[in-house]
Amino acid sequence: MNNGSGAPKLLTRRRVLGHFGSGVVTVASLAGGAWMLALSGEDAEAACLRPPGAQAENDFLSSCIRCGRCADACPNRSIVAFTPDNARENSVAPGRRQRGTPVIFPRRQACILCNGAPGENLLCTEACPSGALQLTSKDTEHIREHVRMGVAEVDRNLCYSYNGASCGACVRACPLEGKALRAGLWEKPLIDSEECVGCGLCERACIRYPQAIRVKPSNSRT
Amino acid sequence: MSTAGGMGKRRRPSLLGISRRVVQLGVIVLILAIPALARYNNYLAAYELDRKIEKWVGTVQGVTLASIDTVIRTLPGAEIERAGRMQRKRDVARSYAQSMQGGVWSAQLGPVSLTDPLAAAESVAASRKLPWVLAAGLAIPLLATLLLGRIFCSWICPVGFLLELSDKLRGVLRFLEIKPRNLRFSFGMKYSLLAVGLLLTALSATPVLAYVYPPAVFNRELHDLVFAMFDRAENGKPGLWLGGLSWMAMLLAAIALFEVLLSRRWWCRYVCPGGALYALLGWSRPLRVKLKREACTDCAACTAACPMGLNPMKGQMGIECDNCGVCITACGDDALDYGFAMPTSPETQPLPQSQGTRA
Repeated sequence: MNNGSGAPKLLTRRRVLGHFGSGVVTVASLAGGAWMLALSGEDAEAACLRPPGAQAENDFLSSCIRCGRCADACPNRSIVAFTPDNARENSVAPGRRQRGTPVIFPRRQACILCNGAPGENLLCTEACPSGALQLTSKDTEHIREHVRMGVAEVDRNLCYSYNGASCGACVRACPLEGKALRAGLWEKPLIDSEECVGCGLCERACIRYPQAIRVKPSNSRT
Repeated sequence: MSTAGGMGKRRRPSLLGISRRVVQLGVIVLILAIPALARYNNYLAAYELDRKIEKWVGTVQGVTLASIDTVIRTLPGAEIERAGRMQRKRDVARSYAQSMQGGVWSAQLGPVSLTDPLAAAESVAASRKLPWVLAAGLAIPLLATLLLGRIFCSWICPVGFLLELSDKLRGVLRFLEIKPRNLRFSFGMKYSLLAVGLLLTALSATPVLAYVYPPAVFNRELHDLVFAMFDRAENGKPGLWLGGLSWMAMLLAAIALFEVLLSRRWWCRYVCPGGALYALLGWSRPLRVKLKREACTDCAACTAACPMGLNPMKGQMGIECDNCGVCITACGDDALDYGFAMPTSPETQPLPQSQGTRA
């Protein structure tokens, strides 16, 4: 009955084809993998803004399964899947390992920290099935203490308020106004980098292009 | 055909076959509905929904949003009376819309979180950690696979479904008197591919299979296509648009063509690393197709029908069998049926078919 046992296996055409096929697939996948590995090193300096609750970049990249559930959950559509194209459009170095991972481009749409959304937690952290984004309460005090997506930085050469006109758009946009971002004389933005959670709403609001205030992602090396 | 004798009592419609098709179609509908639900949720959050529905009336996007809204309004607690008119209760509607996310790689369906065992294996291999959330999402799919075998392949996988449909074209070819070929490869190929994939995942600390695993990629492409259609609508071009399908859709078309002309169900039988993982997990599954030898008339209808190229007539199901039940439906003698059995009796021992499947 059982044709696998006993009798010596003949080298039929079928079997040769089978072995040839599996050999080709294995070699091809090895080559593809080697190519991916060779390129995985280059991404060390590529930095992009991660959703709140993200693990440190290297842990994030290895835990994340690229399922896109956080992007589906985001009420403000600020989380998108990283592609080389949208990275380039938003002046982020395109990295191979980052592909498909969730990223926020504040200039496009910034994180509203689930203001007005149903539930008690930040929705993307609730959606994440892999622990790459860790469950985070959307309580203001909790956010102030635990969320560090990045830190806003002002380019004084670009900012209107530092160059003779007063603007203050970024200060109005800040969800932690008066703590993370205060208005100085002539609406000059003053950032408290200890308090800033890096949501990017100031960068979104900046009327200057390129933006005078930008969030430096916390996963950036420099 | 040698089945001439059995032809008389052919094929009643089987509940099993019909329900499998219903589930497979449902999965495709869900894959397309989930991104639409996400957009519905976004518009609701931005107080834009009614305006969008009005503006896009008569187009795919408008109809989709309106039908989602109609369904959600019927759910308990989602409607309130305001100024003598029934209206949506935004918070409740948003919670409903929020409860569906993702796709076959990992999904939230109401209260249930489901994660593909392959996705979980990749995350664990890459990060060397198994967080509780991951284990929780893994529980149901893993248990189902341990008990029922490769049912993901036969009931859920959208790629398996499409390849199953394109397999029907072989019948069309036969009608045209063109005999499609059926080259056989080694079943071992998919196991080596799985091993290589997981090894690379561990070495690169990146879930590489997530980038190439067809159900995951195809699902993501469909998902993004729906998003792209809504984006186009927002830019003033509502209507159907299929230009966003990219490489996986084309690759699938190529695979389907290859399968139809040269090798039946090539991908699922010999190549798919996900199928390999589920086959291994289902090694000692209790649910098996069982053969009643005394009822069997050796007509080989089951063997001809088996999408996985196995031989149910000889009781050869083994770990490759995805419990799809096509052989049960094909059998004109009621000699095949599902049965629960612990894998200790020699009859039901996993018998990997002929070529090297020791993996």
